[in-house]
Amino acid sequence: MAFDEELAQLQKLSGEYEPEATGPLVGERQSSAAITTEYANADPIYRIKTAALPAKYAYFRTCRGDGHCGWRAIAFTYFEALVRVGNATKFTEEEARLSSMHNLLDSAGFPHDVYIDWAEEAFDLLRELAQSLRNEDGRAADLLLHKFNDLGTSLSIMTYFKLLASAWVQSNSENFKHFVPMGDVKTYCSLNIEAANCEIDNVAIVALSEAIITPAGIGFEIMYLDRSPGEEVNVTPFSQPTDHTGMPLPNPPVIRLLYRPGHYDILYKAGDFSPTVQHQPVQPQTPLHVALAAGYHDSFIPVDSNVDVMTMIPGMYSTGLGQRWPPVSYDFDPSPTPQAQMTPVQPYAPTPTPITSVPSTHQEYMSPVHASHMAHHNIQLEQPPVTLPIHPPRPPPLSIERSPLTIERGGPFRPSIYELEPGFASGQVHSLPFQTAIFRNSHYNTAHFLNPDFQPEEWSPDTEYSTANKGKYKST
Amino acid sequence: MSAGAKKRIMREYGECMADTPPGMKINFDERNMTKWEVLLDGPDQSPYAGGHFKLEINFPNEYPFKPPVVSFKTKIYHPNVSNDDKGSMCLGLLRADEWKPPNKVVAVLRLIQTLMIEPNPDDAIEPSIANEYKENRKEFEKNVKDWVKRYAK
Repeated sequence: MAFDEELAQLQKLSGEYEPEATGPLVGERQSSAAITTEYANADPIYRIKTAALPAKYAYFRTCRGDGHCGWRAIAFTYFEALVRVGNATKFTEEEARLSSMHNLLDSAGFPHDVYIDWAEEAFDLLRELAQSLRNEDGRAADLLLHKFNDLGTSLSIMTYFKLLASAWVQSNSENFKHFVPMGDVKTYCSLNIEAANCEIDNVAIVALSEAIITPAGIGFEIMYLDRSPGEEVNVTPFSQPTDHTGMPLPNPPVIRLLYRPGHYDILYKAGDFSPTVQHQPVQPQTPLHVALAAGYHDSFIPVDSNVDVMTMIPGMYSTGLGQRWPPVSYDFDPSPTPQAQMTPVQPYAPTPTPITSVPSTHQEYMSPVHASHMAHHNIQLEQPPVTLPIHPPRPPPLSIERSPLTIERGGPFRPSIYELEPGFASGQVHSLPFQTAIFRNSHYNTAHFLNPDFQPEEWSPDTEYSTANKGKYKST
Repeated sequence: MSAGAKKRIMREYGECMADTPPGMKINFDERNMTKWEVLLDGPDQSPYAGGHFKLEINFPNEYPFKPPVVSFKTKIYHPNVSNDDKGSMCLGLLRADEWKPPNKVVAVLRLIQTLMIEPNPDDAIEPSIANEYKENRKEFEKNVKDWVKRYAK
């Protein structure tokens, strides 16, 4: 008996054990290269998938892993997507739309006086953000982050979203009952959605997506990072908003979450925040997304070429990643004239005028059958490549008024996250944000021979006896 | 404690006052509204009849996102109340993983009364008392009355 009691006691202790969750409730936006670094020593599948991540999803934001992360991530990104749209009236519309769903809450049996407190927290935030946008004080993003790092506020808003999700599932029980145990929707919602301490599951994600995200005209995708075979995270779209005619909305804001088993964080594409992208009327066909290095590898097939000396160096492509990033020159040019010419390679300059021209290519590329938007790319089809340079370097384009995001690829390297950051290639080798052992030995380090900015470490007599530079690395 | 939580506790107190479950009295101190003292009469249809029990309901700072904590200040012979100086009761909707923010204190008070009439031996904190309740109901009731006489008069 004493043994049983002891066991029961231990069981109780282990049941009550909660790992200490640390970090901010919602973190600052940071470069997603940090994820790559985090997995640098993990197994190859994680390594390959996370290495491909920063090129497509330039930024990420952590959520505290306290069991609420998925709820919090969705609630936060919903508000953030509205801020990104930047239209103050949209906030008023959303408040009206959410209030109109309160009859669902009533019919699900939630007492009005209880949920209205949480609804008011959400509405207050909508109003404050709208006010900030009207004032154009640029504080909306900070305000949102601040609010969501207040435990009470973020719990209130999350609980409001939970109740809406639960009411949605219950009012559409026909659609959901096949996905819950025994088809008992009410009990399921009570235990898995309404409970104060429950992690979000797919039923709730679908419910939130249908009830809150899609009607707001926001897209929603989850990238699953797991050990399944593949070279990239698996993307599952949950919301693809359409207009009243059923046509997909052009360029909706998109919520992107990164799911690692048991935990959600938030991902962003570089374009989500680039002012160049936001304030420029973007045609669906502009090569801008290509310039951001998103997904273009689908459109090109590298053709074997024995001229690529790089492939002959043993260990050059040990990660198998090198080939994924063909050295095609992409040139963003606001003028619609196709530039089917040899282009000079610019040193990753986001500046409007190229500084130097270094013609170089090692491989040739063929475009596949669908060449509809090929006119935007500059593809070299010289044969053989040794005849280079055929064309003299193109003079700096004169017709550029806005500062375009110009990223040109000249080597067999995939674009680095740093290229997308302002001030990149401002002439000097950019300072390193951190120095860990993993980082030092990776190709992100400029002292690594695989780095496009390869710069060997040099001996400097001044620092020979300096011992104080360890701390300096971390402070940048 | 956030303003929202205080507002909610105040409102719930108002509701409890307007509709106090029979056989209960709530002492509420406005200066410390997170600690309620409840005086509870043993329900007539239970072996606890005739006893007067003092309970404490403590609201955590995260209320209503975490459940209130119920503890018996009067010793009670019950499978769902810990037989120590804490006298804690933690089952059903009071459990952290089952608590729902829309739940109210009135529901908690009703749960306590229900459990005094009908203990839940399958979710017991005192296995030996639960065992006795299941296998030797007479002995159990005798012990209950004995403790009522000793501690709850």
